[in-house]
Amino acid sequence: MLGDMRRIVWTAAAALLALASACRPRGGCSGDYCGTLVVALTGEPDVLLPPITEQSESQAVLDQIFLKLADLDTTLNTFGDSAFTPLIARSWEWADPKTLVFHIDPRARWQDGTPVTATDVAFSYDAYVDPKVNSPYAGSLHQISAVTARDSLTAVFRFRQHYPEMFYDAVGALRVLPAHILRGVPREQWATAAFGHQPVGDGPYRFVEWKPGDHIELAADSTFFLGRPHIRRLIFRFTSNQQVAVSQTIAGDADMISFLGPPDVVARARAAPQLALYPYRGSVHTDLVFNFVDPADTTRPHPLFAERDVRRALAMSVDRARLLQSVFGNLARVPPGPMTPMWWIWDTTLAQTKYDTTGARWLLERQGWRDSDGDGIRDKNGVKLSFHLLVPTTSGLRRQYARLLQDQFRKVGAEVQIDEVEPNVLDTRARTGQFDAVLASWNTDPSPSSGIAQTWTREGFGRSNWGRYYNADFERFLAQAESSKTRPQAARAWRGAMQVLNSDAAGIWLYAPDNIAAVHRRVAGVVIRPDAWWALIRLWRIPGDRLIARDRLER
Amino acid sequence: MGAWLARRSLAALAIVLAVVTFTFLLIHLAPGSPFLPPPGRPVDPDALLRTRHTFGLDRPLPVQYVRYLAALLTGDFGPSYSRHETAAAALAGAIPNTLLLAGAALVIDFSLGLALGCWQAARARRAGDVIAGSVTLFIASLPTFWLALVLLLVFGERLRWFPVGGLSDPVTYAALPWIGKLGDRAWHLALPALTLGLVGAAGTARYQRAALLEVLGRDFVRTARAKGLRERRVLLVHALRNALLPFITLAGLAFPFLLTGAVLVETVFAWPGMGKLAADAIFSRDYPLVTASAVIGSAMVVTGSLLADVLYAVADPRTRVPAP
Repeated sequence: MLGDMRRIVWTAAAALLALASACRPRGGCSGDYCGTLVVALTGEPDVLLPPITEQSESQAVLDQIFLKLADLDTTLNTFGDSAFTPLIARSWEWADPKTLVFHIDPRARWQDGTPVTATDVAFSYDAYVDPKVNSPYAGSLHQISAVTARDSLTAVFRFRQHYPEMFYDAVGALRVLPAHILRGVPREQWATAAFGHQPVGDGPYRFVEWKPGDHIELAADSTFFLGRPHIRRLIFRFTSNQQVAVSQTIAGDADMISFLGPPDVVARARAAPQLALYPYRGSVHTDLVFNFVDPADTTRPHPLFAERDVRRALAMSVDRARLLQSVFGNLARVPPGPMTPMWWIWDTTLAQTKYDTTGARWLLERQGWRDSDGDGIRDKNGVKLSFHLLVPTTSGLRRQYARLLQDQFRKVGAEVQIDEVEPNVLDTRARTGQFDAVLASWNTDPSPSSGIAQTWTREGFGRSNWGRYYNADFERFLAQAESSKTRPQAARAWRGAMQVLNSDAAGIWLYAPDNIAAVHRRVAGVVIRPDAWWALIRLWRIPGDRLIARDRLER
Repeated sequence: MGAWLARRSLAALAIVLAVVTFTFLLIHLAPGSPFLPPPGRPVDPDALLRTRHTFGLDRPLPVQYVRYLAALLTGDFGPSYSRHETAAAALAGAIPNTLLLAGAALVIDFSLGLALGCWQAARARRAGDVIAGSVTLFIASLPTFWLALVLLLVFGERLRWFPVGGLSDPVTYAALPWIGKLGDRAWHLALPALTLGLVGAAGTARYQRAALLEVLGRDFVRTARAKGLRERRVLLVHALRNALLPFITLAGLAFPFLLTGAVLVETVFAWPGMGKLAADAIFSRDYPLVTASAVIGSAMVVTGSLLADVLYAVADPRTRVPAP
């Protein structure tokens, strides 16, 4: 009997060994143009057609396949055109203050060999603003009145007015599309067109395969006109869980993850000998947003937060620096306003509400908020200083912050009930004003103009100005900032706008995390652009002497 | 038998229809909306309205329901809102992966559960049985999600014995010979299947132990022992065969358990199956994909249950209900 068992074990071991040797594919690539980069993504792209999607996972893949006319450099200065590097456009000039002329690089080719022309540029603009395509980027192009092809290599953009971020608006969102392929596809069907799952682009990488739920593979285009990418294979692995993506990177199943998250995860990644960490400025800020209107009837002011002193008192009762230290350590900053360190308007000298619980209590007393029944919660005219705080179930950080805030507010006599809802429900309730206060995280683009306008002006009512905040002074400053001729002028206007917001205590600016990416040490030349970590992957490389087995593998 | 089978099949169809109706209403009435931008990005209400109009979501719910049912009768599950393809195409890619995972888990569940149950029954109330009983109770009480994360962290991230999620190695798989591909798939399947299978096996072992102990006390077992048969033969041939009948019921019940467990396990192990697809669809309010997943899931469960009933009826004719 024992002999039988031994035979079975040995046979199984031999079979496993044979299987293991069969599982080891042989590869032969050598030199500086090998290299396989496996990127762990915490989500799966929805579609690979640029005007259709604004999902960041899709952008990460799309920007390897499709080029813009020009792109921002790492300074992220969206003012004027000095911080932009040419891509499809070899050069550009201003024909007049409202007319921008791009000269297409004659070497640019679609991956099927067709030249990229100005007609493609005009076609792309037309598609982005076509209601049939229903692009989420159409709004960012509303200042452009027309895009035409003067000749095959000259595209002309005409604007409705002159303003400092015209160039950014022209190139920031618009990826050039192949007119010769997409012209035949009815625009109503673009969202589900086959092209969106098997795109043909003009970028450094070409599409190879998409295994739904698993990965997307791209291959370097060796004929790419701006220089052959060093990394030969680019594989985006999908997980629906940040924890798993981190584990994949630490275990060596993936070569990079763009965002590690809280300090304990950073420490785990730091302990992995094969990983190098790359900090970069974050593009997200999280605020407690007060609702200025009554959730029961949005035509009436909010029973608590319409009072400026109540908002100020609550803001004064939060020790933002201590909360941030206890949750993030040194991996985040206290924002001086609703902004991220990625924006050039980040200004820590702005006047902000100071942590002062004595002052907060005094302010509430002065306004008649007293604890008349001794239950620890202040009240006035029969109304308790008690409110609901909306947080998404999917954000551990915001849930943790909600509890910490609950504790801090309690100390000045305010009661908070935490409503944890899934993000979709949070968004719907917030947009329709069905909340008292919400912990909102904003993922911003490099320009402060559009984000701030949508979140804090009348233009954003029913959109992203969830609390329906309105102050005419703020809007005046904002208009000045958006039309300033010089950056110092704009900076002064932005400063004025932020001071109005802070003085109004329109929200409590809680944290702006700094990002840390983890990348395998064999990858050299890693430069990360804060607004789009993937933007410069085509310039990363794996030197020939650092190749590992999977880099050499021929597909 | 034919009439009985026809009746059961009709009942199965009615269950699927009820599930479709219930799911359709529930997901449409749930708060939230499809077509929202990614979290943290601004919403354009006009674009949202246009998209809702394009997909007929601005029509009254009964109209939408009737249109959905009419399309469903022609085999059209509709477009997936979140994946920019048809719901049928999205499911077609995911179903084989879920069946593979559920099948492998079922094998682990039954082989391990059966073996452990027999082993425990053979030494009932002795130290080994008590320890094994406590361990199986502990495992059966573990949340699947937690067990999955622990296995992933220990065997994936720390020991690196198994890959951390995924269906196959995206770098090497295409270059492998068929045997290598098979090995790679098995290697990736190991942890998720073990997670699902272990929890199931713990329950199966307890069930099987109880069933065997009941049979071991019967007269025919005493007779077999009196005839001088070896204990191993008494247990495995005489007793086990008779204790297997309730096992068929367990098999029928295991499938729904595996499908629901697969939602969590597939999410943790990034296994691109139906469970993960349905969970993602729920979060993005992808109505057609949620409903299609419910249709397929319920069809699978009622088919499994019907199959178990047929097998039971074949094995034990007393359970067949006579035709009126």
